[in-house]
Amino acid sequence: MTAVIEARGLAKSYGATRALDAVSFSVEPGRIVGLIGPNGAGKTTALKAILGLTSFDGELSVLGLDPRSQRDALMRDVCFIADVAVLPRWLKVAQALELVAHVHPRFDRSVAEGFLARTDIKRASRVGQLSKGMVTQLHLALILAIDARVLVLDEPTLGLDLLYRRQFYDTLLNDYFDKERTILITTHQVEEVEQLFTDVIFINHGRFALNSSVEELGARYQQLTVTGEQAARARELKPFYEREIFGRVAMFFEGRTAAELGPLGELRTPSIADLFVAKMQGVSAA
Amino acid sequence: MNADAATAAPATAPALLRRAGPLDTLLALVRRELWEHRALWIAPLAVEGLLALSLLFGRINMDLPEGMLAAPQRIAALTILQWALAQPVFLVTSIVAAFYLLDCLFAERKDRSILFWKSLPLSDGLTVASKFLVAAVVAPVGTLLLAAAADLLFTAILMIRVPGTLSWSTYEWLRTELVLLLEVILGVLWYAPVAAALLLFSAWIRRAPILWASLVPVVAPIVERVALGTHYIWDFERYRMNGIWHKLIAGPDLFGDWHHLPPVGVVLGRLNLGGAFSDADLWLGVAAAAAMLYAAARIRRYRDDS
Repeated sequence: MTAVIEARGLAKSYGATRALDAVSFSVEPGRIVGLIGPNGAGKTTALKAILGLTSFDGELSVLGLDPRSQRDALMRDVCFIADVAVLPRWLKVAQALELVAHVHPRFDRSVAEGFLARTDIKRASRVGQLSKGMVTQLHLALILAIDARVLVLDEPTLGLDLLYRRQFYDTLLNDYFDKERTILITTHQVEEVEQLFTDVIFINHGRFALNSSVEELGARYQQLTVTGEQAARARELKPFYEREIFGRVAMFFEGRTAAELGPLGELRTPSIADLFVAKMQGVSAA
Repeated sequence: MNADAATAAPATAPALLRRAGPLDTLLALVRRELWEHRALWIAPLAVEGLLALSLLFGRINMDLPEGMLAAPQRIAALTILQWALAQPVFLVTSIVAAFYLLDCLFAERKDRSILFWKSLPLSDGLTVASKFLVAAVVAPVGTLLLAAAADLLFTAILMIRVPGTLSWSTYEWLRTELVLLLEVILGVLWYAPVAAALLLFSAWIRRAPILWASLVPVVAPIVERVALGTHYIWDFERYRMNGIWHKLIAGPDLFGDWHHLPPVGVVLGRLNLGGAFSDADLWLGVAAAAAMLYAAARIRRYRDDS
């Protein structure tokens, strides 16, 4: 299958700051990619480039189209939620349904009605009268009723409480995602969504610190928890990051085997959140 | 992937695809503007409501000499009132439309709803066009229709309250509406560059476009006067405000040379319509408006400060 998103030497500068430093990557259909990085790392710039919302250097094609010159065609197959708070406050729920039904050829109103039926949102309410969680539910109902091939979510659950966040991702996974679709998500709350991802990209200072499928992570990275006496021996195997938890040391390795590390302590595949911290801290320490 | 989508689409989505032609989309966008900017229709309705109330309950002092209002004059009075009572609502619509044009592309950046609109398959050109269409076609034509309907009400009120001053003539009433229609068409064409400039300001200015749009036309002539001692900008601004109306009423005296008060419709034969509609500055202005709308769409397309 051909890649849904293909980038070569994608770059963008704001003045002297390089928001994206010539990154190359490709995303296959049917993947859920987590784009993870600290604030200002270039996540949003990458998403904006993919969505044709900003100019950039280098090559980028999304569904075979150039987001710079073919944005109008692209938006029929690509959908995004940039933030929870961008639905216009004056818009009534019923108006929102009617409007999107008229302007989006791939919008299925009955699907959106189905999502809304599970919420307490009233048709006559204006967006400005809804709680933040309800606005997100409404936005999600509108977007998920669009039969798009690529969905981009930029911090979609920022500022929402845990119940709404959990519900958001459950809906996304159970009622929307299938093997034809590709979802790109940036988020700070990595712990909550790491089970969702099929691929992760760590980004820092405009460069990719990691770009891997989740299956490959297990083969590539190991987390070893050791107690005092074994620590020195483990350290000889050159962990790229270590951290002390309750007197035990968690060490992170790249490319070591279970045979090498197993005898030294407790071995497991690091969580994405831990790996992210390890990678970010490890890089800045190096 | 492409082949799959192409073959799957007719089976699942023909009913949906049918509804989304460009014209349908444009109409949906126009309705969306009227949902958001309710002043566009509330303000003209309020003006006509206030006029109706003041005609109903206000003091009407028609101090006319006995015998002056013979039948032809009563018809003339009908059309003159018809024309005069239509002016306030056109003035108010123009002001509301100007504020609307200045605000619409700025407000969507300010509340970041532009990110929602841009997540839909709506091109920047279509979006800007819909906003211009609302201000330059929907609002003026709607106001014309409203004014016509309201005038029937005003006339009925006046015929009851001051009998013997007005006489109905469908022909003259329609002729006056035609005069108003020509005014609207000519006004829309002549002020199109002003409207497009307001939209351009709205797309372009980072904060407070209303301040900039009102300061620049005031300060620029003053600066020119102080710095160069000339007044080209001021002359240009004045010309752009009323130039076309001078051309329209050029030629034989419109209002003089009458023994009796004529109905408004007689000006149709005396207005310099050919001269006004073939005026080079009129169409240069329209071309400038098109260029500014294009620029506004480009700016909306490429700026990413939201």
